[in-house]
Amino acid sequence: MAQVTLHEVSKVFGRLKALDRVSIQFEDGEFYALLGPSGSGKTTLLRMIAGFEILDSGRITIAGEPVEDKPVEKREIGMVFQNYALFPNMNVFDNVAFGLSVRGTGAAETKRRVGESLELVQLVGLDQRKPHQLSGGQKQRVALARALVTRPRVLLLDEPLGALDKALRVEMQIELKRIQRNVAITTIFVTHDQEEALTLSDRIGILNNGRLVQEGSPHEIYERPTSAFTARFLGDANLLRGTVRNGFVELADGTRLSSAMPPGAEGTPVVCAVRAEKILLESAGGEALGQGENELPARVISHIFAGSSLTYLVGWRDETLKVHVQNRGFEVIPEGAAVRLSWPTGDTVVVQP
Amino acid sequence: MARSAVAGAPGISRSRLTTIMVLTGPAYIWLVVTVLLPLSVMLYFSFLSDVPIGKRVAVLTIENYAAFFEKDFYRILMLRSFRLGAEVTFYCFLFGFPCAYVLAKVIKGRWREALFLLIILPFWSNALVRIFSWTMVLRGNGILERAVNWLIPDFGPLGLMFTYPAIIVGLVHSYIPYMILTCYISLQAIDDHLIEAARSLGAGRFTVLRRLVLPLAFPGILAGAVLIFVPVLGSFMEPRILGGRIGTFIGTIIEDQFTAVFNWPLGAALSFIMLGIVLLILLIGVPAVRRVI
Amino acid sequence: MRRRYTLASFGRFYLALMLLFLYLPIVVMALMSFNSSPFYRLPIDWSLTWYSALAQNSRLIDAGLNSLWVALATTGLATVLGTAASLAFFRYDFKGKKVLQLLLFPPIAIPWLIIGTSMLVFFFWVGIGRGLHAMVLGHVALAIPYVIIVVSARLRSFDPHLEEAARSLGATSWQTTWRVTLPWTAPGLVAAALFAFAVSFDQFVISYFLSTPGVSTLPVEIYTAIRKGFTPEINAVSTIIIAISMALLLGVARFYRFGGER
Repeated sequence: MAQVTLHEVSKVFGRLKALDRVSIQFEDGEFYALLGPSGSGKTTLLRMIAGFEILDSGRITIAGEPVEDKPVEKREIGMVFQNYALFPNMNVFDNVAFGLSVRGTGAAETKRRVGESLELVQLVGLDQRKPHQLSGGQKQRVALARALVTRPRVLLLDEPLGALDKALRVEMQIELKRIQRNVAITTIFVTHDQEEALTLSDRIGILNNGRLVQEGSPHEIYERPTSAFTARFLGDANLLRGTVRNGFVELADGTRLSSAMPPGAEGTPVVCAVRAEKILLESAGGEALGQGENELPARVISHIFAGSSLTYLVGWRDETLKVHVQNRGFEVIPEGAAVRLSWPTGDTVVVQP
Repeated sequence: MARSAVAGAPGISRSRLTTIMVLTGPAYIWLVVTVLLPLSVMLYFSFLSDVPIGKRVAVLTIENYAAFFEKDFYRILMLRSFRLGAEVTFYCFLFGFPCAYVLAKVIKGRWREALFLLIILPFWSNALVRIFSWTMVLRGNGILERAVNWLIPDFGPLGLMFTYPAIIVGLVHSYIPYMILTCYISLQAIDDHLIEAARSLGAGRFTVLRRLVLPLAFPGILAGAVLIFVPVLGSFMEPRILGGRIGTFIGTIIEDQFTAVFNWPLGAALSFIMLGIVLLILLIGVPAVRRVI
Repeated sequence: MRRRYTLASFGRFYLALMLLFLYLPIVVMALMSFNSSPFYRLPIDWSLTWYSALAQNSRLIDAGLNSLWVALATTGLATVLGTAASLAFFRYDFKGKKVLQLLLFPPIAIPWLIIGTSMLVFFFWVGIGRGLHAMVLGHVALAIPYVIIVVSARLRSFDPHLEEAARSLGATSWQTTWRVTLPWTAPGLVAAALFAFAVSFDQFVISYFLSTPGVSTLPVEIYTAIRKGFTPEINAVSTIIIAISMALLLGVARFYRFGGER
């Protein structure tokens, strides 16, 4: 259990900058998710902390101790791989005991700690099974027990739930969180699944093209994205281009949007992000539209029914915007109907283009 | 596919059966006539007192087998052949396994394919010619002797030609691609993540090799060993060319019975004793071979 | 961490040494075939003496032609017979399939010395005798298992749904085989045929036991020459043989991926 810090870490593969001066401080005991699209450098970063990739420049410390020159086996880490990487020639017990046996732990102590570990992941009684006799969820649990049994200083998870089907994934998310809370170990988790990151982590770091774009609590990242990339990557955000005029953001057609935060210097081009579920969509009947801010006239193009919600695709000028409406037994507004979109001031988030 | 619709049931399955027989029949009749029947006839011959050709009278006897157990000569030669086989197999593993490892785990991409091809290229080329080519290297005043004397002046003659080590070198050269091939196939199948997982759990390189890589590559190693050991046991051309007068092994003795001495029954008996031992080894080794191929 | 790079480069160096070991004698032999000195005196006195001597040596030329004919006959027969059996294995599940597949092992696994001598004994006994026809009989038996292995490997990556699709469009079983399955298997067939040719062309042991003093193949003639105290022409003919075999294998590699997919 320890703090892990990355300082200005860079890595180049050929001509591709896999990581570009990334600095992150992982706090003791926290659950941190590295989130990003494929090719963003998140896996490279994790493998670098583990020691499988060699950094070109920068520093990595675990519990204050620099580890760049330490081989993997000396770093005292625990790692869970996407495909679990259970040793096919060993049974469950031997898989979990592997880390202890290479450290020369005695037989009695090994038996006790393997037992504890398997209990922690709620997998008792399958000691003698071979990996190919286990289900996906069970393999996942063995991999976790194996990574934790040596009491590593940091737990690294490389898309550990990626190979599971949806229902099992949700179940394992809850399990993972419970176990992590239980052992209170610094956990770094790589995923491309935003929902997983939001559900599990204390903090999220968003990576794109080898750079750390934003970091913060799930709530912060979702509600206050600082860049168009983050806004688009997490959830459904509508992006509207405009220019700062008199403390408002003026869109191309002259509509003014106001936000809770100062949008920036006069005349600078900005982008406003509005979450699809924050927009109120009303039928534009006869009643007069208020000339207030954060209000757009639009036309329904189509709708997508998704059970608990209904998504409208609406056209405003040349753009197509998304609006999520909770399913509360409303009447569906027909395609082609004129509608009015509006949202509270606080939900206009000005981000970097 | 319908497993139930196999032989027995009339109608569709009968035409299926005909098709299967038409397709497989010729190949297997050929194999039976040219491999299985000859082996059976040879087994029969090994129990005869003489070749039953022309006016010669042959009676059933076990004296050919008895000869093997009565005369030290054959037993010693058989042991010598086993030692040769074991040594060649061991060297093939010792030098071939690291090569397969580098190929499977260090070299990446297009290079790997090219290098792999380069390694098995000589393997399928003419075995006799390759053995012969070593005489050009090992002979007195040959390339190797000159190279050694150039490095260490006045080293004098190497005297490698027509020695036991020369036979070993030639055979290892002939058969090492087998070991590299089978080890490569099983090493390539090992997920790199397994090795990383072991290292993340604190295992050093040697531990990973001993506890993970070798056990997982074992079927490949075993397959390679069987594929090398068996033919080396029956080798006769290699010891004759590279071993000269000292190149007497069970293989050369068997060859003599058929080409020089014309004691076919004895040659057949010696062959079957060797085959019996080989079969015993295959019985242990074939499951592993089948898993890899 | 620098250690990892040095370890990897040591590995590459080792691989290079292995290649040196594998190719050194072949290269030396090839160089010597261009050396006019019959005592392999160095430095090499470059000439084509032995190649022109070869052109005059009717024994070796006859043996070479024999090798070629036997190899061509073997290629044709083994490819057709082996492919037919592979198709049956691919398309049908039947009782005894495992046994038939197991039967492919003896020709590969039993030492050629034993196979060769037993062919000699049997052919002599039933009156087939020795000679080129006997060699073809033997070579085809050796080549069939290889053909089946190579063609089956290719068929394994064939989607059976394609056959079903053809049948659903009204093609008969034979039309499906000719117009869908075989065209798709073509690269495997070419590889198998080249393989069969190489197996026969390089075969020494079986040919050795089935040859008669007047009728033999190139490897047998070379062996006889080596045993008798050979002439340097053998270097020249060996160089030609090895060049042909390697060219053949490169041809096989063009159509058949060794060491599995990836």
